[in-house]
Amino acid sequence: MRKPGERNAPYWSALWCVFTVIAALLFQAAPTRLIEGITLMPTWPLMVIFLWAGLRPYFMPPIAVFAIGLTQDLLTGAPMGVWALSYLVSIAVFRFRGEDGMPRDLPPIVLRFAGTLLLAHVIAYASGSFALGQPADWQPLIIEVIASILMFPMLAFLVLRRRRSRSSGFGG
Amino acid sequence: MFDRPSSRSEAFASFRAGFTDIASPLLELAAQPIRAVKGIGPYFRAQGDLARENAELRQQLIEARYWEDLAYRQRDRIEVYEAALNVQTAATEDRIGAWTVADPQGPFVQARLIGRGSDSGVADGYPVINLYGLVGRVYETGRRSARVLLLTDLNSRVPVMVDRSNARAILIGDNSEYPRLEYLGRNPDIEEGDRIVSSGDDGVLPRGLPIGRAVPTREGGWRIELYSDQAPIDFVWVWPYVRAEQPEAEEEPVVEAVEDAAIEGGAPTVEAPDVPVTADEPAQEPAEAAAEDAP
Repeated sequence: MRKPGERNAPYWSALWCVFTVIAALLFQAAPTRLIEGITLMPTWPLMVIFLWAGLRPYFMPPIAVFAIGLTQDLLTGAPMGVWALSYLVSIAVFRFRGEDGMPRDLPPIVLRFAGTLLLAHVIAYASGSFALGQPADWQPLIIEVIASILMFPMLAFLVLRRRRSRSSGFGG
Repeated sequence: MFDRPSSRSEAFASFRAGFTDIASPLLELAAQPIRAVKGIGPYFRAQGDLARENAELRQQLIEARYWEDLAYRQRDRIEVYEAALNVQTAATEDRIGAWTVADPQGPFVQARLIGRGSDSGVADGYPVINLYGLVGRVYETGRRSARVLLLTDLNSRVPVMVDRSNARAILIGDNSEYPRLEYLGRNPDIEEGDRIVSSGDDGVLPRGLPIGRAVPTREGGWRIELYSDQAPIDFVWVWPYVRAEQPEAEEEPVVEAVEDAAIEGGAPTVEAPDVPVTADEPAQEPAEAAAEDAP
């Protein structure tokens, strides 16, 4: 259910949502390893999906989540549908529900994101191994999970701060 | 050799290549700031060592001049030999230069997306090299982009040999930084630090591309420290190497010549025409070459 404030100016929020999703996907595929010292890459698209699914659930319907995962598969060369499936299932299981949506405190958000992240990576590992016909390499997945858990609180803190400062919500 | 799993079927490959064609300008744009700041770390770290590094470089320059002279002399000799034998080798200028536009990191594929595709002459199977050695091979080609499967990928299989002893092996990627050597035989003639190059067996890759140096493992096996990993893979060359095909049945021209001679009553003689010998490909069949020479 959209709140009255959200109905007033949804276009800037929608634009901001699209921009952050594209930026996350591009950053996920960008050659960041060219910069010395950068060897960890968090799962940026999942962070963005999770936050938008909490702030503006109607911006992240299942089809959008699936499409973002599929785009990541295409850009990164992963077997088709692996990330699409894992994002779809994990967000469906762990997304915030109810009238209030995402809480305004950091710890419950981080905890729920950790659950989403773990489930997404377990599904990705299982489906990726199935698609490849051999066990996938689990080490990069572990590194991704650790990097994401370390990076997410900072991102969530910025989002919550902005949300508090603007009653209309994240970027909206 | 170079397995392609079902997840990379032709239908998906062409769809994916089309998608990356559309996305490659955006990815190229996203890579620009990263490329711009990639030297910042080494720059600041190197400031303290500049004097020592400068002295070392001067010494290396003196040594390099000797090798430069030697290289020029060898080049002159090779030119004389090639002219005498009419050898045709793949020229350096034929290689297609390309920048890396995407560098996905993940558990499923070790690949790079480069900003050149079939419009520039890139095709599936072409070897990709950087300044130091073989990087991998092209496995999905779009019009303006192509995906390069690295030697470290789970699906990479490359026939290699020890440069010193010519001992053959297969280089198998397992997503680790050091791909492993398999099928070396019972008593392989290989030592730590041996230079490993592509063997050219199976005609998939040209012979002699530098790959890495041999490193023994605790389990008694061998792995390769890749030369191409000396620096981040950014600018690469795609080598338009045409895979050597199996020759057609060799007996037919000889049999035909014998039959013709028998009919004419003369001695069968099959003369080899003046065919250029290609360094990377087997020599043409005499009958085939003669047919090509015919007006």
